[in-house]
Amino acid sequence: MLIETKKGMIDSALLDVRDIVTTEDNARVISTEWSLNGDLVRRDVSVNILRGLELCNSINEDINNG
Amino acid sequence: MANTQAIAKTLRVDLLDGLHAFGPSVIRAGTTADSFNMALYLDTATLDANTTAYTATGELAATGGYTAGGKTVANATAPANTGGTGIVAFWTPSAAVSWTSFTSSGSFDACLLYNNTSAGKNAVAVFTFGAQSVTAGTFNINMPTNDLATGLIRIS
Repeated sequence: MLIETKKGMIDSALLDVRDIVTTEDNARVISTEWSLNGDLVRRDVSVNILRGLELCNSINEDINNG
Repeated sequence: MANTQAIAKTLRVDLLDGLHAFGPSVIRAGTTADSFNMALYLDTATLDANTTAYTATGELAATGGYTAGGKTVANATAPANTGGTGIVAFWTPSAAVSWTSFTSSGSFDACLLYNNTSAGKNAVAVFTFGAQSVTAGTFNINMPTNDLATGLIRIS
């Protein structure tokens, strides 16, 4: 399978691939790094927002900080 | 039977639908939903609760598959207040926002959701996700479940 990279289309068999999963305050982030002979040639990122923002919380924070 | 003071449960959805104007309002061009965008910002930018509108300052450069102003979010699901007692109104874009064949111009850690229909391109919310970079790849922002507990924008 050919993969689009910064060096053009490269056969995936030639690439090293690793997934990195990180958790931020309110998001789970999955990054996929594709390397060719140690050179990063493609990096994908998928951000999963775990929970949106709530207006009531903003009001409470404003009161508490006021 | 006495009366009970209360905020109408429907007020929250009505606010999300733009049915009330407690201050000076605007002349709307139609009755359809506004168009909302998500724009990406460098981790050196300073977006926060004081951000009032879309700004090009600190936004990713319009290179590598990124266009100034960001992407339009899918909005096929109207605000609702279902699934509970009706006190919480919520709205979530109906699909992920994606950039493909994308190389970011720098490290970025936030997106701004803003109204791209309003003349002032008024801000809705800032979401952060830790410093990221994308090289010749895809960047997705996947939305939370659209309900009263996790919807992207909630009023309670």
